Amino acid sequence: MDLFLQLAATGLVVGSLYALCALGWGLIYGTTLHFHVAHGAVFTLAAYFAYAAQKFLGLPLALAVVAGVFAAALSGMLIDFLIYQPLERRGAIRTTLFIASLGLLTLIENLLAIIFTPDPLRMEVGWLADSVQLGPVFLTRLHLVSMATAILGFVALMAFLKYSLWGQAIRAVSSSPEMARTVGIDLRRVHLLTYAVGSAISAPAGILVAMDVGVEPYRGTTFVLLASVAVIMGGIGSIPGALLGALFLALLENIGVWKIPSEWQSTISFGVFLMFIVVRPRGFFGRKIQSAEI
Amino acid sequence: MAAEPAILCVEGLARSFGGIQAVEACTFDVQPGVITGLIGPNGAGKTTVFNLITGFLDADHGSIRLQGKELLGLSPHRVERLGVVRTFQHLRLWNKMSVLENVLLGCATPAGENVFSLFLRAGAVRAEETRARERAMEVLQFFGLADRVHELAEDLAYPEQKLLSMARIFATDAPVLLLDEPTSGLDSESLGRIVPMVRRLVDHGKTVLLIEHNMELISELSDQVVFLHQGRVLAAGPPAEITRDPALTEIYFGV
Amino acid sequence: MTAYLAHFLVMVAIYAILALSLNLLIGYSGIFSLAHAAIYGIGAYASALAALKLGLGFWGGLVVAAGAGAFASALVAIPSLRVAGDYYVVASFGLQVVVLAVFMNWTDLTNGHAGLPGIPRPKLFGWVIDQPFEYVFLAVAFAVLTWAVCWRLTNSAFGRVLQAIRDDEIAAQAMGKNVVLVKIVIACISSALGAMAGSLYAHYITYINPSSFSLHESIFIATLVILGGSERLAGPIVGAFLLLAIPEVLKFMAIPDTVAAPMRQIIYGALLIVFMLVRPEGILGRARHGR
Repeated sequence: MDLFLQLAATGLVVGSLYALCALGWGLIYGTTLHFHVAHGAVFTLAAYFAYAAQKFLGLPLALAVVAGVFAAALSGMLIDFLIYQPLERRGAIRTTLFIASLGLLTLIENLLAIIFTPDPLRMEVGWLADSVQLGPVFLTRLHLVSMATAILGFVALMAFLKYSLWGQAIRAVSSSPEMARTVGIDLRRVHLLTYAVGSAISAPAGILVAMDVGVEPYRGTTFVLLASVAVIMGGIGSIPGALLGALFLALLENIGVWKIPSEWQSTISFGVFLMFIVVRPRGFFGRKIQSAEI
Repeated sequence: MAAEPAILCVEGLARSFGGIQAVEACTFDVQPGVITGLIGPNGAGKTTVFNLITGFLDADHGSIRLQGKELLGLSPHRVERLGVVRTFQHLRLWNKMSVLENVLLGCATPAGENVFSLFLRAGAVRAEETRARERAMEVLQFFGLADRVHELAEDLAYPEQKLLSMARIFATDAPVLLLDEPTSGLDSESLGRIVPMVRRLVDHGKTVLLIEHNMELISELSDQVVFLHQGRVLAAGPPAEITRDPALTEIYFGV
Repeated sequence: MTAYLAHFLVMVAIYAILALSLNLLIGYSGIFSLAHAAIYGIGAYASALAALKLGLGFWGGLVVAAGAGAFASALVAIPSLRVAGDYYVVASFGLQVVVLAVFMNWTDLTNGHAGLPGIPRPKLFGWVIDQPFEYVFLAVAFAVLTWAVCWRLTNSAFGRVLQAIRDDEIAAQAMGKNVVLVKIVIACISSALGAMAGSLYAHYITYINPSSFSLHESIFIATLVILGGSERLAGPIVGAFLLLAIPEVLKFMAIPDTVAAPMRQIIYGALLIVFMLVRPEGILGRARHGR
């Protein structure tokens, strides 16, 4: 039982990280329909930025984190502005955009690998690394911070989307770009904003990993693709769905270890994903998949 | 009233989106061998009805029967196989393919499309392709596009693109043709090419159901008219009856 | 020098097969797969295991490989292609990850990281094909065969349907084409051919291990296809040739090994971005074939 609880706790911690990735990626995908795999490079970049800010600029941890988040928001916007929007202006089809995104992911990850070497680089976290015991479960303070960040991020994002003017504009575009255009919403600006917010909300995931086990250049690819699985399972266009999907996936992987050797974790996730799309392709809360606009 | 049974029977069709009822209790018959026009103001649900008939949308309730066979719940390609084929308001031509190729895709080439026979029955495949090309050329002649055979669909003038979208569905030999706004976007000169073409389709034994916006054209184009408003059938009958009804004209023009 | 050249040509031929087969998916059907390296690996392992454990020769292994590749592909294609293209991308990623996990962790079967050595060379009527230039002939012969199969597929009514699906899938459905079935069929054919390339590889190098079949490799193969373009069937072959030349060029530039690998990836990534911005129709525009 103790083992089960420990695995569940770890699952929640990992789930928090997946959730932050999924929230950001899901927001971007639901609003722009861009399969933005370069998102993996963006939050990895944020992590390296935070690491460098702490190590080379001597910034205190909190400021380094903020710097990382800003770096993510800026990178996300630049990618949309410099690559995706020009592609869309040229009438690119979605696969073209996906390929460009894949190219970006490859390019940025490998550039980081050359600059920082492929070895994991850990940030200094001081007392955050201390262990905390909750009943039979052992976690570090950092793990608790991760969970708190995910919850905060989720609540903040929901509030932003519901109550702020910009959030409502994003929701309008997400629900129907045509209608949004007719009521005078500037799609390009909303896209840029979506990228800024989406990248910013996922940045902490990369940075928390940098604080826990260290940042590596290539982990972003796996994370972003897991995020896309989480979003699909949760339902495209649903923010709570993305959160649920991420937690579900992480719990599945970590509790699965109880009975199934850990090397097979990824197999479990994708096996479940395949079954899911057979049985309920629209995910937990997604809109019903219908043929394209006819 | 009709001597023959209706070829297409729509009954109690209903479909809602979110909270909006796009189509409700929609019931009408399409008689074989004539042109039936589906008219109504904007947002009346005409394209939705087309999408429901052809399987691109699922209906909430109702029934659509083609010569007794139920079409509801079938996927679009199955609906076509059973004999109902459609054009699109936005044409949806295969722009990067040639005029000939667009029509060839409507011709029967089952052997060439089957991977096994493609490799194992080369002779049969070749014969079938030759026949298909002959048929495609006949269809293109019929539509007056024979001199455009190798041009890309996107390079055609708009009226010719409209003709091409009709040509390719005609090539399928399907008995029921659904034309989605065949006259939209055309000037009077081009109308002179398209409108007689629609009539010639029926002369060849086809049944045509078309969506038409222009009240003036409807009398010329259709033999029967179905008036749709807010997703319901308000009236059905000969065009003269419908166009002269003041209540309906009021609804149509929103006066 | 000649042995080096022979090796280069064999690898170009193998990658040409991989690129041609993936092109059927990406270029002709507009379906993006991240799993082609996994399929390549399935072919290699299936063929190697058939030889090592069942005593089948290269030719038997080839058939086993094709079957295994098609099967794995069908497993993923059938659920995901019914839904939408983006689902297939994610599902293919899943396949790639799972297959690699199997190669690395099912050690009883695959020997894990250590790999499988001692795979026999092909035999043709009792003659063992083990001289470098003999292998070049075999590999090139298979590449030509693959090219011929792809040509037949694309220059036919079936090829027309593929193009129609890529150009406007909705119109294809309205015209009676069973789009989902066609996509599944092409995915299986693409995988059968890709897996055969794996068999060719396994019996050439005579040793395989999981590291040759990673996600990076899938991206590399996709890059070959995308850059080479699918305007003509020669495109992927040109792509294979060019992209295999890049690492060789880098070798001559005396770049340290640790930097060379990521440097190659940076070049591939940059090329993908530039091509999409400047010449996307290299792959995703019309693939013109005979009229």
